[in-house]
Amino acid sequence: MKTTRRGFLVGCSAAVASYAGSAFNTVAFGDPNANQEILVVIFLRGGIDGLSLIPPIAGADRGHYEAARPNLRIPTSGAGAALPLNAQFGIHPSAAPLRELFQSNKLSIVHGVGMSTVINKSHFDAMQFVELGTPGSKSMTTGWLTRHLQTASNLPASMVMPSLAVGDLQPVSLAGSGETVNMQDPESFNVANGPWHWRSQQKATLRSLYESDNSWLHAGGVQAMNAVDIVEGAVTDPYLPSNGAVYPDTPFAQQLKVLAQMIKLNLGLQVATIDFGGWDTHESQGNNGAEGYFSTQIGDLAAGLMAFYTDLDGAGADNYTDRLTVVTQSEFGREVHENNDEGTEHGYGNNLLVLSGNATGGFHGQWPGLAPGQLVDGTDVAVTTDFRQVISEILIRRMCNPSLETIFPGYSGYTPLGVVQGADIQPAAIFADGFEGGTLGAWSSST
Amino acid sequence: MHMSRRTLTRRPTLKTSLQHQLLRTRRRRDRRRGRLKPRVKDGMPRPLWPEPRTMVESRAGAAKTPPSPPSPMIIALTRLGFGPSPQAMADFQALGATDAQRYQAYINQQLAPSTIDDSAAVTRLAACGFQTLGKTVPQLWADHFLAEEWDDIMQPLWESVGATWVRAIHSKRQLFELMVDFWHNHFNVFADDVPFGPVWVHTDRDAIRAHALGNFRQMVEAVTRTPAMLFYLDNVFNSQEDANENFARELLELHVMGADSYLGSVDPATVPTDGNGVPVGYTEADVIEVARCLTGWTVNSQWAHWEFGETGEFFFHEDWHDTGAKRVIGLDLPAGRTAAQDGQAMLDWVCAHPATARFVATKICRRVMADNPPQAVIDAAAATFLAQVDAPDQIAQVLRTILEHPSFLQTWGDKVKRPFEIAVSMFRGATFDLPFSLGDEFSGWFLWEYYQTGQPLFSWHPPNGYPDSKFAWNTTSPRVMTWRLANLLVTMWSEDAESGFIFDLAGRTPTGVRSANQIVDHWSLEILGRPLPPGERGPLVSFMAQDAHPDTPLEIGNYDAHWETHERLHALVALILMCPSFLWK
Repeated sequence: MKTTRRGFLVGCSAAVASYAGSAFNTVAFGDPNANQEILVVIFLRGGIDGLSLIPPIAGADRGHYEAARPNLRIPTSGAGAALPLNAQFGIHPSAAPLRELFQSNKLSIVHGVGMSTVINKSHFDAMQFVELGTPGSKSMTTGWLTRHLQTASNLPASMVMPSLAVGDLQPVSLAGSGETVNMQDPESFNVANGPWHWRSQQKATLRSLYESDNSWLHAGGVQAMNAVDIVEGAVTDPYLPSNGAVYPDTPFAQQLKVLAQMIKLNLGLQVATIDFGGWDTHESQGNNGAEGYFSTQIGDLAAGLMAFYTDLDGAGADNYTDRLTVVTQSEFGREVHENNDEGTEHGYGNNLLVLSGNATGGFHGQWPGLAPGQLVDGTDVAVTTDFRQVISEILIRRMCNPSLETIFPGYSGYTPLGVVQGADIQPAAIFADGFEGGTLGAWSSST
Repeated sequence: MHMSRRTLTRRPTLKTSLQHQLLRTRRRRDRRRGRLKPRVKDGMPRPLWPEPRTMVESRAGAAKTPPSPPSPMIIALTRLGFGPSPQAMADFQALGATDAQRYQAYINQQLAPSTIDDSAAVTRLAACGFQTLGKTVPQLWADHFLAEEWDDIMQPLWESVGATWVRAIHSKRQLFELMVDFWHNHFNVFADDVPFGPVWVHTDRDAIRAHALGNFRQMVEAVTRTPAMLFYLDNVFNSQEDANENFARELLELHVMGADSYLGSVDPATVPTDGNGVPVGYTEADVIEVARCLTGWTVNSQWAHWEFGETGEFFFHEDWHDTGAKRVIGLDLPAGRTAAQDGQAMLDWVCAHPATARFVATKICRRVMADNPPQAVIDAAAATFLAQVDAPDQIAQVLRTILEHPSFLQTWGDKVKRPFEIAVSMFRGATFDLPFSLGDEFSGWFLWEYYQTGQPLFSWHPPNGYPDSKFAWNTTSPRVMTWRLANLLVTMWSEDAESGFIFDLAGRTPTGVRSANQIVDHWSLEILGRPLPPGERGPLVSFMAQDAHPDTPLEIGNYDAHWETHERLHALVALILMCPSFLWK
């Protein structure tokens, strides 16, 4: 298993150098039986108001919802009405593309997701708990995605870029991951802006400066040079999306476009993250009308995801959606009752979306209900599904990584909800893989 | 053909580069003036990086050889400011006969910045021609917040950005400028929007700069009263009828006591107390009590309430104040008091809490010393913080405790410069200068590129400030994007400049310095103030020498005759500004 991890080419400059000179699009991944799934985690930072994204449209809960949200409710008829998903729930009218994906069973929606063991309304605490994968504790040194990469035992023999954080900073879920590349825009991701005549020699010298020692600072510089080599070698022409996909001109959609571009380069990408912020709507939330703030945000989310999925949903060798799983999650939901500023305060349970060519579609998990007795502290949607349960299912059924005890230490009692299709494997700790004695830190020097 | 010049086609100005960034990162939202209620978000929360002390070295083959500490001069100029410059090094050397004397004299000066003659920087700033930096809040509100054109509305922010660059590069009060940057992050506001940008001059001048080395309690209240913070975290709307706890929560979590002291939804009566009977942390109920204390702390603007006036000034709106009795983290406040009395008593209490001392001391140590500062230094700094809680120079005294601690000069290499420090120290080390006046094309071009580094000034969305940890900044995007800045600066070109390059590096290379060995040693000493380690010097000498012997003199004087060598010198200086030794703190 360790050998597969050594197969990460990023961090191994000679391999990258030789690889960077070859034709990227003809790369064959080593073992045809190796897992080639791609997991994309989109973090909706600030706490998206799930009740405005997926409102109840009928039954007793509709009454509770309307009573709690005299101004912010999404209507069931007339202008701006929710688009029905089933008899009980609808989706925000700005999210029509998501309904399309839901109706074709590519989108699974999980009710009442959150941290079942901890209630914490601080953005920063809650985000750390989720991204470290350890609710209630900030003592882990690695993010949960990092530990997935460390424990995955079935990765392709050679991967040029196993993990990518699209954006200018790397998220906590990939903390401690030395092989991760973070990048905002491939077109400017180079050092080729110096004196023209000396560009290649200057670049080679720059690499030598960072290969002169092996401190964390030097290693980071070498990693950056490797990433530059890969991206420069691979990104030659302006990117043209496939299948008629049209990415809106929003930061989120443009980041998805970069991600699609990188996926299609077949660099062995396993894990990617994108941040989408601006969901902390305490005031003048703007649920209604196409111009409202929340409506616009939801429109960005839906249109971006649709473009991304369409772009990757080609036929034959151009099909990537059959190995793609996208999760959107937030640190918490929002209170059921709107506040007096036409906004919503920090809450607890929330819905979570899973978009995949292998999604089962439909709703999953237990709907917690909105009756006064069902709310937590009288204000919040309850958590009926721990977020780690949903992720664990994806890790097992799609990524074929059952190392739950390592990825989510302290989490137990996993059973699949049926959010995605795939074979079940018994969850296991991988003690034969260099993590004996519960050492869960970042890679040791032996890797 | 001199190809390096081909890259110099697009020259946005300072203003257009900021506009570009604005358009690029966020779509312009509806800002119609007729609205009585603005949409004010506390931004896009981003991850607060785990405390560095809980992280391990992440890269494969964890740090084998942390570099040994350089001289006190290099440590002082690198960690207590924005990097060495030839002038700053000369000034430091003149301060005494021994390292110890010079270091002590230097920190004595830096901790009393008014004693440092900074007239050159003042003159330099005056040359920018900024027009808003002296305006009062009502003037800023009338002239800018209420203006029609976006250029006019945001002019105070853009001038503050320009002034921040000029001061960081040129001021001799380097520690003061470093702490200004620290407090702007500690009390973070995303300023690149309305109504923050039009009044940013006020936040910068009257809240941050006025107290950067002063008294913490006074600074907290000054920040709390700024229209920018009041709008950013919604306290403008906080009233007895419509309580808004957003600011109160972030005040406790980010400004004073810290998230480690947040105990969640537990009964305050069950919270343990310290030896003085003070609860050791705060609860969800305390957040609400703090919010009650601050009801009525608002801004005279119709964006806050339709019945208000439109001067933009802070005021206590007693009609909105919750006058009931309160209990804040163990402190009883009787009923019937004013908004000022309740809020100020609460601020007195939380700013003197031992958790606040620990939290602020830890963050300052992390800023000026190491990602994992020694606990003994944190403890000493926290003790000073509490002992001097009423002192007008409380923050300077806390800093003195840290800077005079025996471990300070023994600590090196547990921190990497952030992009702002990298960029400013490029200007200082290589003695580059750009006008940073509005409309200057080179400044705008530079800022355009700088904004890709991940640390644009005053533009971090959530209220926690940019991360202060190698784990955030020693990653691929900040590294590549700051490398690009070095190449950008050495290739800036103008037909008006004699050699073509606006920074004439050949002209600044002494006539006796011509061999590759000499050139590398000259420029590395000029920029870094110390020799390069052999592992870095070797490749640089090879690059500069190319086919020549490293002791053979090179022709670099005349650009047209020797443009290849000339450009190689520029590429070399860029490499020194990109090298590992340039990045350590």
